[in-house]
Amino acid sequence: MTQFAGISIDKIGRGAAEVPTESVQGNSMSAAPAGVPQQETAAAAAVSVKRVSKVFGDVHAVREASFDLPKGRFLTILGPSGSGKTTLLRMIAGFDAPTAGDIYIGGQPVKAVPPHKRAIGMVFQKLALFPHMTAAENVAFPLKMRRHDARTIPQKVERYLELVRLGGYGKRRINELSGGQQQRVAIARALVFEPDLLLLDEPLAALDRKLREEMQLEFRRIQKELGVTTINVTHDQREALVVSDEIVVMDGGEIQQMAQPVHTYRTPANAFVANFIGVTNFLEGPVVETSDEAIVLSVGGMRVNGAAGGTARVPSQGELAAGALRAEQIRIAPTVQGFSGLGNVVNGEVRDAIFEGERIVYEVGVPELGGAVLRVFDHDAESHQQFGPGDSVALGWNAKDMYIFKK
Amino acid sequence: MRPSRAAYPMRWRVMDSLERIAGLLWPRSFSAGLPYLMLLPALLLVGVLVWGLVEIGDSSLRTLDTSTFLMSENYTLANYQRALNERFFTTVAGRSLMGSLIVTVITLVFAFPYSYLMVRTPSSALRKFLLVALFLPFFIGQVVRAYGWLIILGNQGMVNEALGLVGVSPIRLLYNYPAVLFGLVQYMLPFAVLMLAPAMTAIPAELESAASSLGANWISTFRHIVLPLSKPGLVGAGLVVFTLSLTDFAIPAILGGGSQDFIANAIYDQFFRTSDQGMGATLSLLLVAVGSILVGLVFMVFGAGTLAMGGDRK
Ligand SMILES: Nc1ncnc2c1ncn2[C@@H]1O[C@H](COP(=O)(O)OP(=O)(O)OP(=O)(O)O)[C@@H](O)[C@H]1O
Ligand SMILES: [Mg+2]
Repeated sequence: MTQFAGISIDKIGRGAAEVPTESVQGNSMSAAPAGVPQQETAAAAAVSVKRVSKVFGDVHAVREASFDLPKGRFLTILGPSGSGKTTLLRMIAGFDAPTAGDIYIGGQPVKAVPPHKRAIGMVFQKLALFPHMTAAENVAFPLKMRRHDARTIPQKVERYLELVRLGGYGKRRINELSGGQQQRVAIARALVFEPDLLLLDEPLAALDRKLREEMQLEFRRIQKELGVTTINVTHDQREALVVSDEIVVMDGGEIQQMAQPVHTYRTPANAFVANFIGVTNFLEGPVVETSDEAIVLSVGGMRVNGAAGGTARVPSQGELAAGALRAEQIRIAPTVQGFSGLGNVVNGEVRDAIFEGERIVYEVGVPELGGAVLRVFDHDAESHQQFGPGDSVALGWNAKDMYIFKK
Repeated sequence: MRPSRAAYPMRWRVMDSLERIAGLLWPRSFSAGLPYLMLLPALLLVGVLVWGLVEIGDSSLRTLDTSTFLMSENYTLANYQRALNERFFTTVAGRSLMGSLIVTVITLVFAFPYSYLMVRTPSSALRKFLLVALFLPFFIGQVVRAYGWLIILGNQGMVNEALGLVGVSPIRLLYNYPAVLFGLVQYMLPFAVLMLAPAMTAIPAELESAASSLGANWISTFRHIVLPLSKPGLVGAGLVVFTLSLTDFAIPAILGGGSQDFIANAIYDQFFRTSDQGMGATLSLLLVAVGSILVGLVFMVFGAGTLAMGGDRK
């Protein structure tokens, strides 16, 4: 039994009503499977964060954050700027003390353990390589500080430089390396002393897109190769989806959802997560009908079928709610023919067609939905009919693809 | 067609006409020479300095005729011989060099934690306090400060009075070598901190966090990270403190009471007491030479980029 109900039970593609409820929301510990004592779950986890808060003056940087991360997994903390990601990471590293709550590493409380006594490798946002040392000296630094046998240090340094594909670059000064190479030196330095935990604070943010994507895969390769438990911080949703085993989505200092990437993407826990990840359309209106799996909204007078989304209370009849619908889950065609199986079908007019290379994004105005403008992706545009501004089109989507959250 | 007033404001038109006038006075083709023209003031300044040095060099090669109190007509190296051999001069030189070295070391030792605290403290109130405390002495001036020390450390001064209250008889705290060094350290501290602070600001605090997460305690972090990276600042501050101490006049004169002369005091005496311009000039030149050689050596050892703060080495 894992701590993550959302992970242990594969629910991909099933009704959204049973989205990984237990895995989400800040104080999820109370939702641990019955019969498993909390003590035990904490011991099994490499990192366990329990109701941790951090207050700076009157800013609640982190509010009651809780999660458990099993050994060897890759967790990404994803959230917009100022959502408390760095603050949470710094508390795990030991640079800041939590205002409230406890952090366990390897089952041990670390409140009284200073950073240099924690076995944590950290890669900083600005890398924090030592400019007065060579690449090899940087990588050797933690080994010297941790009093490893001096005779084994050069081999270890070379081995880890090779691991990050920098074999033979040891003698270079830091300023003689490219951005991506410096990045890899920082990773080697954080890993060389075989820490229990690797922390990454947006180390890829400064790189150009191509290099960033390369490094994301590199991270994944190294992490899998060494099996080191890793917590990565980013505000790049793509990076989160690509590299992680688990994603924690944060906003305003609170954890919004913790789940596997597919679940985070397909079954967002709330409107924030739905909006933050992917391109999402929102349709707002009062709830006119609720049943077990389906909820019907009235948008601009039209009935729209959706499914209850997330963990929050299912909105009741008459309440204002928002339906979240991803741009790629809408089908677009010249007429409604062939949309027979879909729960929602509307007619609209193309306002704009934006060519993005691998796909075309249509902005479609839908008078039936009170003039709402929906964004629709059309991949593989070459082989289908293309539309231009002013064209009449039909849109359709499955009811289960539209999650309804309370406003 | 006239552009409207709003689209083409008065200020622009004024600038345009100014540019046109400038173009008449200083055609574009001249502009290649502009950088050289801007060097002119600097060249002028250096020129005057060199001229002065040549004059001093000239006097240093003439001896004073004690019967007529006129400078000799012919050139001789006698002054240099006296300066390097006579006991009085070598003592003064040794005292100044040794004193400056001690002052430099002590000042850097005190200035380092001060600048570190000033740069790194999370409390802006403390930072402001440290900054004000740093600049306050600049408004007071060296001579006034030295007299202040006379009041505090004199035989009837505050310190001795306080000692008297606990039954200790007055101690001679002034007019000795330690008093001069003490005064110099106190005077040099702000200079050293001002030179060190930018060098320390240039060290990202993240480096220290990184070092600690990599297993370094604060002593190791200091030794392996903070100290080596502050080297440019330390060298610069050391150089400034050393040369300022070596050439200082007021503090050895006031706190030394004539018994603890530094080179500058000896030069003053030669010019204005014994009126031996030749000897004064000789001592001045020797001082300039020692200072230049020292700066040259430091540049050779640490690289000329040292004083440029935080630039790439060489
Ligand atoms: N030392 C501090 N003193 C006061 N407020 C702070 C401090 N550090 C962070 N904060 C505040 O806490 C909140 C969370 O900051 P944090 O650095 O954790 O954000 P983040 O999620 O890492 O953002 P980013 O993606 O921009 O790095 C912000 O509102 C920030 O202003
Ligand atoms: Mg951050």
